[in-house]
Amino acid sequence: MTYFISGGAKNGKSTLAQDLTVALAKGGKHYYVATMISTGEEDDDRIRRHIADRDGMGFETVECSKNVMSCLEVADKDGTFLVDSATALLQNALFPVEKNYEMDMEAAHRCADELIRFAKTVRHAVIVSDYIYSDAERYSESTEMYRKCLADIDRRLAAVCDAVIEVSAGQLTIHKGDLCI
Amino acid sequence: MILIIGGAYQGKLDYAKSAFNISDEDVFICNGGEIDFSKRCIYKIEEFTYGHPNPIGYFQTHREEWQNSILILQDIFCGVVPMGAENRAWRQNTGRLAQYLSKEATQVSRIFCGLEQRLK
Repeated sequence: MTYFISGGAKNGKSTLAQDLTVALAKGGKHYYVATMISTGEEDDDRIRRHIADRDGMGFETVECSKNVMSCLEVADKDGTFLVDSATALLQNALFPVEKNYEMDMEAAHRCADELIRFAKTVRHAVIVSDYIYSDAERYSESTEMYRKCLADIDRRLAAVCDAVIEVSAGQLTIHKGDLCI
Repeated sequence: MILIIGGAYQGKLDYAKSAFNISDEDVFICNGGEIDFSKRCIYKIEEFTYGHPNPIGYFQTHREEWQNSILILQDIFCGVVPMGAENRAWRQNTGRLAQYLSKEATQVSRIFCGLEQRLK
């Protein structure tokens, strides 16, 4: 069973995703795929908050800021995976910190392909993304490219996942499939 | 008239093409000037509203011409209020136009990550 979850910032996506992952795992192995590369105090805080949220839920953490398929070198593909988030994976690929954030389109395409392959390979997955497509703003070329690449990932994941859920202010809209918990 | 809304890159035109058997020749892509309502599908209406002083008035004037059209509008009005006055006016005028068109429409669909959500 695979879930794709999107919506606005701080609207309850991660909490739902954690609960879904634990429910899908039914006591079996469940992994938290840690995607974020901290760029400072603000990110450290966010990471600490997420770790505290997961405390006691039995997650094994797999550090994976790039190449999501590489998770399976250390984790069992028959487990349940929470990937939070596609947004961070794309950011790390498209604007690599080691290349001074210079745009890398090839890496972005690889990132998209790997996420789709990952969703098709593992037994259960909950993949979180961010809905960043409804602004009255003329963005820079690189930001616009980021939005376009993420939308491409979102649409492909929405097509292959069993269920698609949008979270708005903690409320759920089920666009495809069932909640199953 | 059928109104299709949704965020950037969500697959609004792809949905219109597959649901209503539209080809590229049937699509008018707005660019800020006059709209060619002889085309079945009017795309990127948010580009028409950008900088336009009275988009609703324009659509009211041409009301008879789009009664059987498929209108596609990006929901640029959901994000934060922009700093620039021009973008603020754009956001508000586009939101108001969406309300007007939605009342007139026989069907309103929102596209989310390529999936249709029927609003009306």
